[in-house]
Amino acid sequence: MYSEKLMDHFTNPRNVGEIPEADGVGEEGNPTCGDVMKITIKVENGRIADAKFRTFGCGAAIAVSSMVTEMVKGKTLEEAMSITKEAVADALGGLPPQKMHCSNLGADALRLAIEDYKKKGAAK
Amino acid sequence: MKFVEGIKADVTADIVYMMCPMHLLKLEEMMKTLEAGQVLQIMTDYDGALTDIPEWCEKTGNEFLGVEEAPDFYKFFIRKKGR
Amino acid sequence: MGARYFDYMATNPLRPEVLEAMMPFFKERFGNPLSLYELGQNAKTALEEARSRVAQLVGAKPQEIIFTSSGAEANNFAIRGLASAQAKKGRHIIVSKMEHHSVLNPARALEKEGFAVTYLPVDKHGLVDPGALESAITRETSLVSVIHASPEVGTIEPVRELAAIARKNGVLFHTDAVASAGYLPIDVEALGVDAVSISAHEFYGPKGAGALYLKGGTRILPLIYGGIQENGRRAGTENIPAIAGMGKAAELTRAELPERAGKLTQLRDRLISGVLEKIENVHLTGPAIGQGAEQRLPGHASFCVEFIEGEAMLLMLAAKGIYAASGSACSSKALKASPVLLSMGVSAQLAQGSIVFSLGMENTVEDIEYALGEFPAVVRRLREISPYAGGWGKVKETDQCIPKN
Repeated sequence: MYSEKLMDHFTNPRNVGEIPEADGVGEEGNPTCGDVMKITIKVENGRIADAKFRTFGCGAAIAVSSMVTEMVKGKTLEEAMSITKEAVADALGGLPPQKMHCSNLGADALRLAIEDYKKKGAAK
Repeated sequence: MKFVEGIKADVTADIVYMMCPMHLLKLEEMMKTLEAGQVLQIMTDYDGALTDIPEWCEKTGNEFLGVEEAPDFYKFFIRKKGR
Repeated sequence: MGARYFDYMATNPLRPEVLEAMMPFFKERFGNPLSLYELGQNAKTALEEARSRVAQLVGAKPQEIIFTSSGAEANNFAIRGLASAQAKKGRHIIVSKMEHHSVLNPARALEKEGFAVTYLPVDKHGLVDPGALESAITRETSLVSVIHASPEVGTIEPVRELAAIARKNGVLFHTDAVASAGYLPIDVEALGVDAVSISAHEFYGPKGAGALYLKGGTRILPLIYGGIQENGRRAGTENIPAIAGMGKAAELTRAELPERAGKLTQLRDRLISGVLEKIENVHLTGPAIGQGAEQRLPGHASFCVEFIEGEAMLLMLAAKGIYAASGSACSSKALKASPVLLSMGVSAQLAQGSIVFSLGMENTVEDIEYALGEFPAVVRRLREISPYAGGWGKVKETDQCIPKN
């Protein structure tokens, strides 16, 4: 059902955890429904220097979170914002149709984290 | 078709909703268990029985007493032939 | 290392004796039971022998057994066939919220056709309250269906008591015994039921064979129209190899039932107490063990683990060679949490952590110890990843769960 790549990111997830005093925090989903992803980012010189996640959810949700945090590292905020659910799914070697919403959740949580960073910046 | 009312049967077979040709198979099977002169009642919802059962009686020499209509099925009465 | 199978509610392996009983009917004894020559009559004999054996398993007469292709077909047949046959009497049926989809969905289909359906609530252990049944029955009620035992939470329903209420009110009673037939003695007379569904692959028989017990003299509308097979009630050339296998499996089950129940109860109790002891924030779903009257299926251990999700648990366990099941939304193809868990009052987020271990005769004490060794580590690992490891916090309950694609 899942690709080898996805299973690798599920069994050995990268970037698990939470960045203390993160520059941006994004949380998406509801445990009542299924998956919840919480992504924290560190921004330096307009680029994402670090990203970590915690996820409540299925194997696909965990792998998506792991992959999203890998993909954004080193990217500018604009590049990171343009990461689509399809790009995440492709990077994992594809997702079964009923799991596509997991990659959507990952892209959304990331966007929320970036927006949170921008909001905080504006407030300063 | 001969319609009747109030015939008392000695033996009853309820094959309502069982598919064709259960009405003939059951008829043969049940008749073997009857004694001469006894009456068998067969309950079925199958319309084809209206021709099949009288025909069978004629062919086998058993007496077809008639049919009674119930709200969603028929009751056929057959008297087993004497020796 | 071979896999350790803890998913007997999904299916059972075939017993070698059963396979042996089936083989001739794939090969030289391939005849059709309706054919008049010897080859056909041999098949007919095998069919009727199997019918007797299956009848004996449930304490019925052979002519009260109708073979089907599966437990699901038997359930569909009972619900649609009995309700339709009695539509003149009334168009109201009652089912419990513990039912399998193969009972619930035909009930819903009848609803669309104008029948009224009452879904009986259950308590936190999944038990149907006989009082609730009593008050749900109306003059229009023609059929009640309550599952014998739940494959999801192991609850054994008070079928004898429920059936007595139905009978007192002149209402037919069907029970889905697919999950219980390999574990509990079933006696249709003692239970006082009119119809029972069973499935061969749930008691070491083959897939593709099920049966409906239907009390003599009960009218049922066919699902499959055609010829005179199964007394004109279910058309189609009989699956003789599978039916012969089901007969053999029924015979073995009847003989071995006490031994099986004894062994599986012991293994189950070891597993349940081990999990509750070794893992924090885990809840047994379904009735507790070791409390006088047994309300839980032998071999059935089901839990909800807090703060993590079932499918992820299944994948990690599978990587350790442990095969189990879950009723979580993510592990279901429909992405919906188990309605059974929700109807027992389990919160939607807790239901996500559903996991079910169902044991069988191939399991050993060593298997249980292995699972007890690996399972806590899997839970620990997933909790490290989960944002809720410290607790649920305030979770917004919502029933608006439409996955965005």
